[in-house]
Amino acid sequence: MQTQELRQETPAAETNTGDQAFLKLKGITKRYGADYMAVDDLDIDVPKGKLLGLLGPSGCGKTTTLRMIAGLLDITRGKITIDGDDISHKPPHKRDIGLVFQNYALFPHMTVAQNVAFGLEMRGVGRTEARDRVEEALEMVRLPGYGERKPKEMSGGQQQRVALARALVIRPRLLLLDEPLSNLDAKLRDDMRIEIREIQQRLQITTVFVTHDQVEALTMCDLVGVMHRGKLAQLGTPEDIYERPEDLFVADFVGRTNILDGEIEALDRVRIGASVYPCNTRGLTAGKAKAAIRPHRISLTPSRDRSLVSMATNAAHGKVTRVTYIGDVVQYDIDIGGNTLTTEVHTASAGHSFQSGEKLLCEWKPQDMQVFGS
Amino acid sequence: MAAITSSVPIAEAPASRRKFPFLLIALLLPMAIINFVAFVLPVIRLGMISFIESRSGGVLTNNYTLENYADFFTDSFSIELVSNSLLLGFGVTLITLCCAYPIALFLHRVSPKWRNMLFVITVSPLLVSSVVRTYGWMVILGDQGVFNGILMSSGIIDSPLRLTNNTLGVFIGMVEVLIPYMALSLIAGFGRLENVYEEAAASLGANSWTRFRRVILPLTAPGIALGCLLCFVLSISSFITPKLLGGGRVFLLATEIYDQAVIQLEWPTAAAISVIVLIIFGLALAVYSRVVKRFD
Repeated sequence: MQTQELRQETPAAETNTGDQAFLKLKGITKRYGADYMAVDDLDIDVPKGKLLGLLGPSGCGKTTTLRMIAGLLDITRGKITIDGDDISHKPPHKRDIGLVFQNYALFPHMTVAQNVAFGLEMRGVGRTEARDRVEEALEMVRLPGYGERKPKEMSGGQQQRVALARALVIRPRLLLLDEPLSNLDAKLRDDMRIEIREIQQRLQITTVFVTHDQVEALTMCDLVGVMHRGKLAQLGTPEDIYERPEDLFVADFVGRTNILDGEIEALDRVRIGASVYPCNTRGLTAGKAKAAIRPHRISLTPSRDRSLVSMATNAAHGKVTRVTYIGDVVQYDIDIGGNTLTTEVHTASAGHSFQSGEKLLCEWKPQDMQVFGS
Repeated sequence: MAAITSSVPIAEAPASRRKFPFLLIALLLPMAIINFVAFVLPVIRLGMISFIESRSGGVLTNNYTLENYADFFTDSFSIELVSNSLLLGFGVTLITLCCAYPIALFLHRVSPKWRNMLFVITVSPLLVSSVVRTYGWMVILGDQGVFNGILMSSGIIDSPLRLTNNTLGVFIGMVEVLIPYMALSLIAGFGRLENVYEEAAASLGANSWTRFRRVILPLTAPGIALGCLLCFVLSISSFITPKLLGGGRVFLLATEIYDQAVIQLEWPTAAAISVIVLIIFGLALAVYSRVVKRFD
């Protein structure tokens, strides 16, 4: 039964070919009260050594899911296994899972070394070995010699690394990270992102990472699960999620997107405003629809005759209504007959710069426009 | 860049330094004066009286002597007073801590919706004077009291349990009187205790007993220290509850001070015992500050 499932899944998940599911969430559900489903029937498999990002807005159930895996919340229904071991109803201290909290939760009454050694002590690791492993863990997070400090004497980024060392020193089967970067400032966040990913790959530790930040999810993770209202909206590689969103929520939540109201005229044809554009309608042949286009997938050229544009390209005439200089890009809001398109042009790619009120032509490839029935 | 940003607070500092002390002194002065006149001066006077030689009948002379202290330390009865008082202080404090700690922990964790109401209930005994509460305990614990009445009429015991006019009665009354103070101090010192630390400990493999011992207890140590200091001092200096529930048969430093000062009119002896009590409190305070420092 299990092998059959695996055989079916392997070809579908291109990136994890040959990997067995190490962490399996099967139909896990958390219900509060009579009918509030915080997490609703979640199925996720994470192959060994991979990093899964759970991405979603606050209240989508991602942290609830993480807490259920850690055993800090009871599951209402479903099953959680690590490497075939059913941990669904084990108490948290018997799960052998490393956990890094959003606010780090370093024990304030202990030194850094005592914090890191805590899990080893619980496992009855001898004093000399524990001392070596603590020092090794602190070296791994680039804080050698910081053992005698108290957590409050350290910066947020350093505390974060201590928390990581404390979770990893016990060599857990699974590492869980709950919004670990959200309390850091932007520059430090970029560094820690790379550092955490590097350590995760070096140790080849299966990891679940909860975040509301799509950049973190896309840049760090092997797999991204986008959650929405307690359900898994889409599970796939970062590229799947960004390039091939399966529903409007994912298209809208991940990356910046123009969402335009339209109507499907026929298979692979959508009408927006007065124009009809070729696109992929996912088999739909009629009905109201929303079309999504990424701002940077729209190229802008000075206004010219539509007939000069290749038939393989979608094009719309428009007028610049607003110019916003952001630094690396310039953002143009363009009115294309009732709808506003936000577009981005890299400042380095020079090309033409446009003024507010200027007429121009917007072009994009049919495959860059995602259409969802509504 | 750094020079520019750091120059701002430097420029502002003198202005705030000029204004600040005036307000600070104005606010602190009234209480400082009251404290000096009503506490510091009397304590100095108390210390002086403790060295005055007295003649029989409590007549004070103009001579100073160490005899009041010498008498105290050579009398086996006064050594008994000290040990009784210390035992009561430690015992009552420990029992009060055990009773109040679960209450405080529960109040710390309960949802904010209920917390205020439950908090008021916890400290509500303070609305009734401890004299009245002590009389209440006499009615409950006496030989003909409610408690013995129930036990005797249900046939569990034949003769009443001796629950008043002895040390046991004093313990029961003192613990009940002090629980609100202990609970208040504990809650005040629980600020650092957050649920997330227990979760972190659990994820690292600590079971509930280890979590309590290694995380909850050290994080609540400041509250425990404060509550214990307060209850220790209050129980040693308490006088009404031991007097009433002890029925004149429980001899403590506090009751002895009263007897010497009011009944025997031996002010120098009373003053000397008071100074010894003050020294005990000073030691308790020293232990407290060490504990707080240790767990900071």
